Amino acid sequence: MKRHVLPGFSLTMGLTLLYLVLIVLLPLSALILKAASLEAADYWRIVSSQRAVATYRVTLTAAAWATLFNAVFGLTLAWVLVRYSFPGKRLLDAVVDLPFALPTAVAGVALTALFAQTGWYGRLLAPLGISVAYTPVGIAVAMAFTSAPFVVRTIQPVLEDLRPEVEEAAQSLGASDLQVFARVIFPLIFPAFLAGCALAFARSLGEFGAIVFIAGNLPFRTEITALLAYIRLDEFDYPAAAAVASVMLGAAFVMLLVTNSIQFWVQRHSERA
Amino acid sequence: MSITVRSLTKTFGTFTALDGVSLEVEKGELMALLGPSGSGKTTLLRLIAGLEFADAGTILFDGTDTTHLSARERRVGFVFQHYALFRHMTVADNVAFGLSVLPRGRRPDKAAIAARVKELLELVQLGHLAGRYPAQLSGGQRQRVALARALAIEPAVLLLDEPFGALDAQVRKELRRWLRDLHDEIHMTSVFVTHDQEEAMEVADRVVVMNHGRIEQVGTPVEIHDAPASPFVYEFLGHANKLDCRIDGREVAAGGWSAPLARVAPAAADTPAPAGASAAAVAYVRAHELELLPESRAPEAAALAVVRHLTARGGQVRVELSRRPDGAVLEAEVSRAEADALRLTPGTPVAIRPRALRLFAA
Amino acid sequence: MAAAGRVGDGPLLRRILIAVAVTGTLVFLLAPIAVIGALALGSGIGAFLDAIAQPETLHAIGLTVLTAVVVVPINVVFGICAAWAIAKFSFPGKRLLLTLIEIPFSVSPIVAGVMYIFLYGAQGLFGPWLQEAGVQVMFTVWAIFLVSLFVTCPFVARELIPLMQAQGSEEEEAALTLGASGFQTFVRVTLPNIKWALLYGAILCNARVMGEFGAVSVVSGNVRGQTNTLPLQVELLYNSYNTVGAFAAASTLAVLALLTLGAKLLLERHGHVGEALDAAPVPSTRLSLAGDRA
Repeated sequence: MKRHVLPGFSLTMGLTLLYLVLIVLLPLSALILKAASLEAADYWRIVSSQRAVATYRVTLTAAAWATLFNAVFGLTLAWVLVRYSFPGKRLLDAVVDLPFALPTAVAGVALTALFAQTGWYGRLLAPLGISVAYTPVGIAVAMAFTSAPFVVRTIQPVLEDLRPEVEEAAQSLGASDLQVFARVIFPLIFPAFLAGCALAFARSLGEFGAIVFIAGNLPFRTEITALLAYIRLDEFDYPAAAAVASVMLGAAFVMLLVTNSIQFWVQRHSERA
Repeated sequence: MSITVRSLTKTFGTFTALDGVSLEVEKGELMALLGPSGSGKTTLLRLIAGLEFADAGTILFDGTDTTHLSARERRVGFVFQHYALFRHMTVADNVAFGLSVLPRGRRPDKAAIAARVKELLELVQLGHLAGRYPAQLSGGQRQRVALARALAIEPAVLLLDEPFGALDAQVRKELRRWLRDLHDEIHMTSVFVTHDQEEAMEVADRVVVMNHGRIEQVGTPVEIHDAPASPFVYEFLGHANKLDCRIDGREVAAGGWSAPLARVAPAAADTPAPAGASAAAVAYVRAHELELLPESRAPEAAALAVVRHLTARGGQVRVELSRRPDGAVLEAEVSRAEADALRLTPGTPVAIRPRALRLFAA
Repeated sequence: MAAAGRVGDGPLLRRILIAVAVTGTLVFLLAPIAVIGALALGSGIGAFLDAIAQPETLHAIGLTVLTAVVVVPINVVFGICAAWAIAKFSFPGKRLLLTLIEIPFSVSPIVAGVMYIFLYGAQGLFGPWLQEAGVQVMFTVWAIFLVSLFVTCPFVARELIPLMQAQGSEEEEAALTLGASGFQTFVRVTLPNIKWALLYGAILCNARVMGEFGAVSVVSGNVRGQTNTLPLQVELLYNSYNTVGAFAAASTLAVLALLTLGAKLLLERHGHVGEALDAAPVPSTRLSLAGDRA
């Protein structure tokens, strides 16, 4: 047995493991066991039912649009916050975190109020024939809001660490601003950018609170997977709830793997630089 | 308090940091652990302090086994390389820390602690900085705070890890002399780690040269300087020429030069190679042991060389030579008078022969 | 001729990008806060105060605070333990342990709630056993406590671990050689060095506990006046077309969010002060408000 110099290893490690087993691993296993107790055919019937597949499509599509929006908006915001100084910049920087600080249910009712027919934005959009609330667009808007800070916050530190010499070198070799951005700056921030997008996408897949208010929740049209799991539970259809939740759990683990790999790549990338 | 280390072994994963090290530090002695990085010197120091635990071997303080005591129980004063001062405490609070964590029964009262802190800060000449925070001090000042903090607990031994490592050259030199004086004043058994031979030689009573987790040589600075015990010590101390040579009976020969063993290496002459057999060996000749002669008066058994570069150092001249015909680079050190007599300039041909050398098996 | 400034420093581009960023932030990120304020106070301050003073809303506020009081200290203790074990010692499987701690951030709150149903609910792993013992966990405040513990368990740990790893163990080692006990070392040396990060982690944990909706809504049973936390109360009032009531309740949570942001700003400044003072690395707090991995 290796002896530690600092005291407290057994105590803290023991408590940490005990707590994780009780709070994280036991519930996790309970869900997996429940899902595994279903007959394979039943499981497949539930998770491949038309309604379930429709929720996957709605969730994935909305998450993709939300992530695309945040990729552009987040990159712009990060660039502005790092490269320019202007009055109110600190405040702008602080506001970026608002979606993380605001409870999702509160964000949900607020966004719904904004985009409802009579809301501040709904009123403006209605004459143009655009409706956001109670449509798939609303889902994407809610996802975009709750995951907005990810891209900004992952790019920001990398952009800050970019040494001016790198750009100056490219400029001195005759590159135009656009060429410097496309061929020098963007490749350097790309891993972080990708990591931010992956985190935002993962978050959007699991989002619930902000969406249920604005989505309208029509099966096949505006019903997300998280809601389907919730509804099945409400109907006491426990096997279905377990099966749908296990699909979401699987998706979460895949995204965890993806983001971990990207972050590993980011680390190696930054070490090289 | 004396420290006895017996066959200490420590590995980190697959890396052997210490490989059966035994050592005796005498009471009141100031000892240096000298070696390149990775030689195990810091590991040895941390093992003595109880900041690592050995895989095998024992450590005794005054004959009492302390191998299994924690750092807290050993009462060693440890000065960390980067000082490890408590950044959120003032200088005075840092120094008082060791006294203020004593169990209530043995803890001095506030006034006594304050008095002791004041006394220690005077000792390290920092009385005027008691209220500062570590971040507001220079490197040399932090070093002295760390020392005062370690001394506050009246440790049995004082251990210092690269005490001058992080300081610039000027401060370093001053602090070195100051540490030597301080040791002469308080006479506490002290061990410090360094990779700088000059530092070790100048400050320590005895020096331990380490390499690859083993001790190469233990001795006073003079002993180590005059009689390096191994090729490693020769190379580590520097200013020595390594010659590939052959031993034939009672003769040693290298690059055109030869001499009787009895004259240049009396120690090796006692065990001559078997008659008729010729054995390869490695010889080390320190710069000042390489004799330079005018080429015109070259004895038959001397090698020939050309001066490449001269560097004056005080009363000595360091001569860089290129041996003929193979171009091997050699280093010699002669007095200014000799250099003048030989009219040394770059390009001057000279004859060379070692006055003394030390042989090692090839 | 090379441009005088850095890439993108042209005045026109600069103005356009700043305008886009500021407008986007106002329209997209800040407007929800504004609309909450507007709708909560739209019928006058009196109606707002009446709405807040509804016994059910007051009860929801009370339950929300109670949940935070129970959950935050437990996760603070867990965070300290996990950070001490992970940052100060080396052991095999550390990466796995770190991933395990982060799992609650990766899992959808709905899935978190479902997990707990299948552990403690009547259909769950412990269900029959709990029923026999006559203990009801699901659809009570205990269930709310448990899922809140799950959802927020990484917050404190993830603030402390990188900081403590960066600070190393030398100061603790120094304290030990000076005779301090493990407890003295922690309280007098480690704690002062991590106090801001600890406070920050606790604030984030608190914000999430008070604002959690999905997981709590699965396990609470939505019993009016018994197991309704504030976010659930917002939903309830909203769905019963009580706009002023819903937005009044929502505004209290919005204020909590603004306070949390303010605390973040303050503590970051503290972090930077520390950085300038002694080169102590500050934790990367950038993503820490996220219920997700940085």
